[in-house]
Amino acid sequence: MTLKRALIFIALLSALVFIAIVTVPSLQDKADITPPATVFVGSKDNTSIVKPCSNEHPEWRPAQIIDGVSIDAAPACEPDNPYDVAASVKGTNNISMSTLMQTNLAQDALTMTDDLDNDGDPDVIHIKLEVVELNGSTPDGEFLINTFDIAPGIQPGLWVYAPKSRGMALKNFNSVVANPLLRAPSPVIRVEQGDKVYITLENTHYLPHTIHLHGVDHTWITDKGEENDGMEEHAVFPGKSHTYEIQPRHAGTMLYHCHVQTAQHFMMGLSGMFIVEENQPNNELQTFNIGAGQVRHPSALIKKTYSQEYDLHYQSIDKKLAKIIQEANDPRLIAQRMSRDYNMTESFENYFLLNGHSFPYTLRDAMIIASENEDIKLHIANLQRSSIALHIHGHKATITALDGVDLTPVQQITRDVFDIAPAQRDDIHLQTKNNGLNSYGPGLWMFHDHVPTGTTTDGMEPGGNIAILAYKEFLDEQGMPKMHDQLFDQVFNKDYYAKKQAVWAEGPYAPLLGDAGLLSPKYLQIALFGLAIGLIIGLLVFSVVIYKRKQQR
Amino acid sequence: MRALLLSLILLGNLQSALAMDHGGMIMDEKGMIMNANTDRLPRDCPKISENVDITIHAGQKNALKFVGKMFAFDQQEWNVKPCAKINITFINDDQIRHQLMIHGLPGYLYPEGMFHLELYGEGQLQASLIMPSQKKTYLVHCELPQHMEKGMKAQLKVDGGDGDLPSIPGLTKPVKADIYPVDWTQLTWSVLFLSALLGIGIPFLIIINATGINNFYQKMLSKVRRKNK
Repeated sequence: MTLKRALIFIALLSALVFIAIVTVPSLQDKADITPPATVFVGSKDNTSIVKPCSNEHPEWRPAQIIDGVSIDAAPACEPDNPYDVAASVKGTNNISMSTLMQTNLAQDALTMTDDLDNDGDPDVIHIKLEVVELNGSTPDGEFLINTFDIAPGIQPGLWVYAPKSRGMALKNFNSVVANPLLRAPSPVIRVEQGDKVYITLENTHYLPHTIHLHGVDHTWITDKGEENDGMEEHAVFPGKSHTYEIQPRHAGTMLYHCHVQTAQHFMMGLSGMFIVEENQPNNELQTFNIGAGQVRHPSALIKKTYSQEYDLHYQSIDKKLAKIIQEANDPRLIAQRMSRDYNMTESFENYFLLNGHSFPYTLRDAMIIASENEDIKLHIANLQRSSIALHIHGHKATITALDGVDLTPVQQITRDVFDIAPAQRDDIHLQTKNNGLNSYGPGLWMFHDHVPTGTTTDGMEPGGNIAILAYKEFLDEQGMPKMHDQLFDQVFNKDYYAKKQAVWAEGPYAPLLGDAGLLSPKYLQIALFGLAIGLIIGLLVFSVVIYKRKQQR
Repeated sequence: MRALLLSLILLGNLQSALAMDHGGMIMDEKGMIMNANTDRLPRDCPKISENVDITIHAGQKNALKFVGKMFAFDQQEWNVKPCAKINITFINDDQIRHQLMIHGLPGYLYPEGMFHLELYGEGQLQASLIMPSQKKTYLVHCELPQHMEKGMKAQLKVDGGDGDLPSIPGLTKPVKADIYPVDWTQLTWSVLFLSALLGIGIPFLIIINATGINNFYQKMLSKVRRKNK
């Protein structure tokens, strides 16, 4: 090879390398004068849209009398099944078969007998609870079973206590949805002070559990000498049952929860409110408040002071913990991953629930529905991992009891942020008197945990435990808030909580605040780059071949 | 005491009065039977071909023979002739609720295609059903949340059945199988490395001996040519 040829070769190669370097195409680039257009990224069809209110049982909403039990009106979109209420008041042993058939309760779920103190109400109460897994895994395919959506498209694995039920656990034959009795939160249980209460845990689940009666007056062992505190060392194993016996002397808002691997099982949802009501003559209590929320048959004492009664159960979920039961089916793998691999000290709260739902599903069954000049009793329990700073827009309410102990008039403070520690209960007197202090007047007043995480669903706002204190005139005939159509279009959509859709992808501001599209590629530059790289490789291979041939000669 | 006795008697009467038939459903405080059928023949069956008595135990202890399960029936498969009448004795050995459901039956005899037994706790009950003549495999399971998933699943085959259902404990594979770690020891790693070395060595051996191989080939070739001449 002559020197001249070598120089030409090197110059050519350098030029090509220079061109290649200058024309390297990038994966992102600065926009020219016109940035890319706004695009709609969510699904093009309607499959991700959810109807705000399915309006399945409008006949359940009005006030009614079933088997002699008077049931208050419940204007919400998803009112409690009034037959469940009747069975919860009378006991499954004292209602007609036709009423029982309208529920999913087993015939021995709640038996009420024996007026021990001769004051006109039954005092021996047998309650049977089962443990139910929601949104669990199946070896039969890539789907979840006994599903319960906490928000559009959100199905975290959950465990709940449920009143002993009968029949299909699914809603119907073509469905994987759990029947309405099987839902979060674990049901609120109400008994009367002095009642002889037998709570039987029939462990239908595949891991051991117990019931610990937090704050409820109970002996440490039963008369028979059996374990009665629901502690870990006396776990009720799968297929076994155990009866806890109590005769509470003190009334108040208390709790019950599983005390096996407590941190995890509590956060999986095995916790609920246990309310002991003061002994009153002819007192009829609604033993189960399925799904918490409005009590459709308040006790004699409540009715003396209050026009309505609500149970508010706050709960949070770590999506990593909830996933464990969805990613394996073998109980040994689940036990290992939940008890040893999972580390509670490295956990997060991703979902925040009020009465088993996150916003917007809280609007279906977790609203407080009021008129002006009402006195409303709220039982609030914090069953989440972190503290709550509950704020009710437009109202200042009064704390009447803490952890089931009444406060003296001097101790009762009126405020608009209630700090509630984990496992703590606040009894609150909410007045809708339009006086500029207790209420600012009728409206659709939001109420929510004011800790910033609490209003999100896995970080998506608005979500979490946001709900509404709704004055009746602002509700439509299906019990949904009026004047919220645009918000409903946005949030009753699975794509929204899957983070596939821009927050403001609807309405007049969509072109401004929707998702930005992509830059169009610069084809000339890309073609030049390709050409340069190709030539470099070609030249090198060619020169190697020539060199070898020369050597062989 | 008298009041207690009286209420117990009243309660007993009430409960027995409640054990009645509701359109194919018989229910009492112990359990329920839905869509039992002792005498109505399926359209395709001129008569009952055989009477089969089956006792099925349901309970947690039956899962012990299957790893990775929690609840099970004591058997996982039954075979009957077309048009067989099956008399089931269903026994629940647990203190909790269990069910025995059979799906896919003809809807004109069994509403929603289902035969359903349920025991609210320990106990037993008896019920019969008559199978159609079709060659088919029926799902038998307990429908409590996670009970079928955790092992309470079986199949009933008429005339040999039309295949197997997935994830029946000890019988068939799951559709979505769990993943387990593999036990890698020093021996496992040694075997891997030795086989890889051997694989790399073979081409080298061929190149090193290329001349020898070529010579050998040439020799053989010339021998063949001489013979042909």
